[in-house]
Amino acid sequence: MATGEVRLEVPASPEFLRITRIMVAGVASRLGFTLDEVEDLRIAIDELCFALVGKGRTGIIAIRYLMLDDGLAVEGDGHFTDDGANEPTLSPMSHQILGAMVDEVELGRGPDGPTFRMVKRLRPA
Amino acid sequence: MAFDSKERDELRRKFTEFAESRDRTLRDELVTAHMGLAEYLARRFTNRGEPLDDLAQVAALGLLKAVDRFDPDRGLEFSTYATPTIVGELKRHFRDKGWAVRVPRRVQELHLRLGSVVSILSQEKGRSPTIGEIAQAAAVSEEEVLEAIEAGHAYRFTSLDAPAGGDEDGSLSSQLGSEDQGLIDSEHRVTLSPLIAQFPPRERVILHLRFFEGLTQSEIAGRLGISQMHVSRLLARSLSQLRSQATDAGDE
Repeated sequence: MATGEVRLEVPASPEFLRITRIMVAGVASRLGFTLDEVEDLRIAIDELCFALVGKGRTGIIAIRYLMLDDGLAVEGDGHFTDDGANEPTLSPMSHQILGAMVDEVELGRGPDGPTFRMVKRLRPA
Repeated sequence: MAFDSKERDELRRKFTEFAESRDRTLRDELVTAHMGLAEYLARRFTNRGEPLDDLAQVAALGLLKAVDRFDPDRGLEFSTYATPTIVGELKRHFRDKGWAVRVPRRVQELHLRLGSVVSILSQEKGRSPTIGEIAQAAAVSEEEVLEAIEAGHAYRFTSLDAPAGGDEDGSLSSQLGSEDQGLIDSEHRVTLSPLIAQFPPRERVILHLRFFEGLTQSEIAGRLGISQMHVSRLLARSLSQLRSQATDAGDE
């Protein structure tokens, strides 16, 4: 299994979330995740990126897709220049959704914006 | 949509009564009585890369709006009044809500075709297939498969006035076993969020099974007797509705 990292930077605006979903699906399918799992990752990254940008911020989100031996980790950092919140917010519903989609989720605070990290592990076939 | 004169009189009476009382039961009856019209119109919009199921829902929404707005005193037949409203709703669906990102026709078609490919593979393998397996079975590249799956998420559903309680009660009972009916009830008892309660029954069940019971999309598809791709579309749409609701609430 090839380990490594794919990076993506997109404008911090909801219409670019689609690209983050396509990327996660591409990387996950390389790793051999099933369609169901790819769908989970797609929903999860959408929730997390949305938690960062909401209806849109000024700046970018930098995303790293880390291919691990046993799964996929995705880390995202907001780099915002507006004076919006640097604290990511997740509704209870989003927490519930993410808990069902991935194995680990962490939200944090970076120097110039909120951050996230999620991990989904490959299930032995 | 042919009613005999007795039925027509009866409906006219109900419309007059509804215009005053705004009674929900009456409204349901009026919607149900004209569902054939909505389905007929929805059918005229197939072959445009949208599943009939979704179109029927959009048409039903148009019908509901027509029932709400119809003024029986103006002397128009309801069907005359409702047809442009329903057709307008369907056109709007294609324009605004259908494929929010312009999705090329070949991708839309592949998306629809993959539905059955995924079902067959899931059955053969007894698990969800990988993207590579789907690509091989459909004789396309992995990239094309990914593109087609993403196309199913290209909806941009911001409308929150979708029919609460939904127009699907009839078909729902035929799709769900009694076990699932119990689930709907338990979901009512332990609702995490009243937001979920607003969805039509089938969406509610899917949200519940996926996020609270931890069933996979394939398992849900099997249980409801619909395709995994359809579950995926419905989930994506429900989530985007939940989200637009959350952000709208944040603005107030």
